[in-house]
Amino acid sequence: MSLFRIFINQLDEDDLEMASSKKVITREEWEKKLNAVKLRKEDMNTLVMNFLVTEGFVEAADKFQRESGTKPEIDLSTITDRMAVKKAVQNGHVEDAIEKVNDLNPEILDTNPELFFHLQQQRLIELIRHGKIEEALEFAQEELAPRGEENQSFLQELEKTVALLVFEDASNCPVKDLLDISHRLKTASEVNAAILTSQSHEKDPKLPSLLKMLIWAQNQLDEKAVYPHINDLSTAQLQDPSE
Amino acid sequence: MPTTTSSSSSAASSSGNRQADVFSRLASSDPEVKLKALREVKNQIIGNRTKKQSFLKLGAVPAIASALSECDNSSILVQSAAALGSFACGFEAGVQAVIDAGAFPRLLRLLTSSDEKVVDAGARSLRMIFQSNQAPKYDFLQEKNMEFLFSLLNSENENVSGLGASIIAHACGTTVEQQLLCDAGVLEKLVILLDGSLSQREACLESLATVLKSNPEAVSRFVGLEAGRYLSSVTELTKDRYPRTRLLSCLCLVVIYNTSPSYFLNMGTKSSLVTTLLELLNDPGQSGNEAALGLSSLIAEKEDLQKLAYEANAIKNIVDILKTGSELHPKRLQGLFLSLAELCSKLEDCRCSFLSLEVLDLLVNALRHKNADVRTAACICFKNAARSVKNLSAGRFTTDHVMLPLVQLLHDPSSAVQVAVLGALSNIVLDFSSPKSTFIEYGGIKQLIELSKSMDPNARCSALRALRNLMFLADNKRKELFYSDVKAQGFASLISDPEPTVQEQALALLRNLVDGCINSIEFVFDEDGLILDSVARQLRKAPQAQMAIQGMYVLTNVASGTELHKEAVMQQLFPQPQAESNNFMLKFLQSHESQLRSATVWTVINLISPSSPGALDRHVKLRNEGIIPQLKNMVNDACLDVKIRIRTVLSQSMSFGDN
Repeated sequence: MSLFRIFINQLDEDDLEMASSKKVITREEWEKKLNAVKLRKEDMNTLVMNFLVTEGFVEAADKFQRESGTKPEIDLSTITDRMAVKKAVQNGHVEDAIEKVNDLNPEILDTNPELFFHLQQQRLIELIRHGKIEEALEFAQEELAPRGEENQSFLQELEKTVALLVFEDASNCPVKDLLDISHRLKTASEVNAAILTSQSHEKDPKLPSLLKMLIWAQNQLDEKAVYPHINDLSTAQLQDPSE
Repeated sequence: MPTTTSSSSSAASSSGNRQADVFSRLASSDPEVKLKALREVKNQIIGNRTKKQSFLKLGAVPAIASALSECDNSSILVQSAAALGSFACGFEAGVQAVIDAGAFPRLLRLLTSSDEKVVDAGARSLRMIFQSNQAPKYDFLQEKNMEFLFSLLNSENENVSGLGASIIAHACGTTVEQQLLCDAGVLEKLVILLDGSLSQREACLESLATVLKSNPEAVSRFVGLEAGRYLSSVTELTKDRYPRTRLLSCLCLVVIYNTSPSYFLNMGTKSSLVTTLLELLNDPGQSGNEAALGLSSLIAEKEDLQKLAYEANAIKNIVDILKTGSELHPKRLQGLFLSLAELCSKLEDCRCSFLSLEVLDLLVNALRHKNADVRTAACICFKNAARSVKNLSAGRFTTDHVMLPLVQLLHDPSSAVQVAVLGALSNIVLDFSSPKSTFIEYGGIKQLIELSKSMDPNARCSALRALRNLMFLADNKRKELFYSDVKAQGFASLISDPEPTVQEQALALLRNLVDGCINSIEFVFDEDGLILDSVARQLRKAPQAQMAIQGMYVLTNVASGTELHKEAVMQQLFPQPQAESNNFMLKFLQSHESQLRSATVWTVINLISPSSPGALDRHVKLRNEGIIPQLKNMVNDACLDVKIRIRTVLSQSMSFGDN
């Protein structure tokens, strides 16, 4: 956030001309301005570390810590635990994931009924995926039905899930999305976010929102000036307006 | 569709067998088996109320509690503490079972373990217990308890220091306890946690609210810390990204505001507090439930904040939530109705905009809610909405649809509901202009009389207030209906009630009863003037001004009747033989309360009204008793009303040849 403010402030210092005639800033002038912006290396490193920690790149974070001396916001070992949970859900081992979350912090699922329901729902989906119909029915009735009684919206989701059993070819039914891998990923990221929150950590890294702000700022500036753009975020190459 | 309650027996019994199997392994002497069983139970019950219930029935809690005490295997300690914590999480029967099993002191002992994981598990479970009302009372007055509390707050472990804050939030109730904690420096410790982890911060905000509540000294101490820095921190947290944190910081500010409003001079702070709480109302979880009660407490009796809330579209927002159709938590319903009630308490604009949203059905449904707090809140909402004379006289509240459930609530088992519904009826019955009314048809009068004999003085008082309004400008038929049920004896005992507030309402009711035609006055002469005697007896006892006012108006109304009636009043004013101190009329004329002086002068006016034959004699009597000379001294009374009435008396006096 602080980086962004410095950037904007420096732009404000130059009196941009009236909107009728947009000021043209050449690449040379623009680069000079950019070079004049003072960024602390530590701030950049913190930003990178925040990204690695939040996204769960534990080895990279470890290496980055050793190389740059940047301290991670939380104990790196908790990342390993969190990633193990996430991975278990992604691979369809939901029961295993639930046990791991409970070892990490039993409060998470005890105080988060929606997440708990979604994990149980994912378990049911996995049973159906593997054709364990008997087991799926028993599980739905014993574990999920009581949650449906507690909450109307859970009941609707449950009905939708059980509908998978009705179709001969589940891959071609109205609720087929539930069987999609993207549904696993959705559940996995929900657990990931809940664990991060329980560790008082933001559930999203800061870097993507900074990049969004960059695009927003460029759009704002477009109304007042013509200047070299960053269009490709992965390379951050400046592109002249004429290009 | 295999959901809800259709239970195929095979599934039920197989799960039952599995539970029994795990349960039996809990008692195993093999630590490996025991550990596995503990972990299994824990994983089954977390997040699952039904399983908590069935394991509780099997007797799992004592079994796990004994695992906690038997060994020092840290894995077993961690698993059993976590399982007990889960039983105590959001499940009151579980909390009770954990405490009954004697697990509480054992969990406390875990905090001194050298294994960080054991400490974590113990602190977490204790925190769950302290979130329940059933947690054991923690006595801060004992020095060693206070020391222990500080050792928790000072801990580096966030679960342990969070536990310290939770204990304060749960156990601090009295001003003495608040003072003790402040003197011991607890505020200075708590504010450090404001910068801590999420759970520390939440526990800290809750305990700050508890320590500061209704204690101006504690508030000024808190605000004084580092020149208001922490008040700003709490204010800043109302913009936090976690809804729970936003809510708890708002509730903390509401407490500070209600205790010491002077710290909230800034209109911007007030309005952002109102809008934040309004936003939080939409949170579907616990935070939304608590936000509703927080809002009602914030705007209670504060017209400026009610106005702010109204301008922020509070009424529409709340009604929209109530109309969503999904089942709302009783706490949320209570808070929402109380907030609406507060909004309608003073501002007519609010009442009109509320009633324009077609909310009567919502209110009527809430009157039938199974939770007594919700019924009470709905009644209060009715009461305040009915303050709108415009809507009241449009007959919006007197339809059968509304009246029947209200009258039924007069039989409610909860006395809080009874008092609240009496309040609502008191306002609504003012509109019973038509002689035939639903309220009376449904037996409302009978039930009000019943309640006027209740054990609860509040209920008696409210019932009489409702009757008083019901008899206001009532026709003779209605008065007869009422009187035939109470009778002289009943009325006399109401007037002699041990509670002054009840006496006052009884006299005010009598005042309305004897107002109007000559026939009405006759009520007080039933059974040898029993009622009139009781009134005079109360007046002679040097009553409180408010009561004396009502009593004097009773005499005024009676004195407006026939010659016989006027003489009867004289008899009560100056009985023979008279003890000197008994001239209460003279005392009332010297009262500081202008309304009492006015009521007394009115009695004199009616007694000597020139059209009646005995007026001259009564005038002589009043002069001899010192009443007329006293009135002459009062020609320049500070109260305009009194002054004008006295002029009337004196001009009548002149016509009797008195200068």
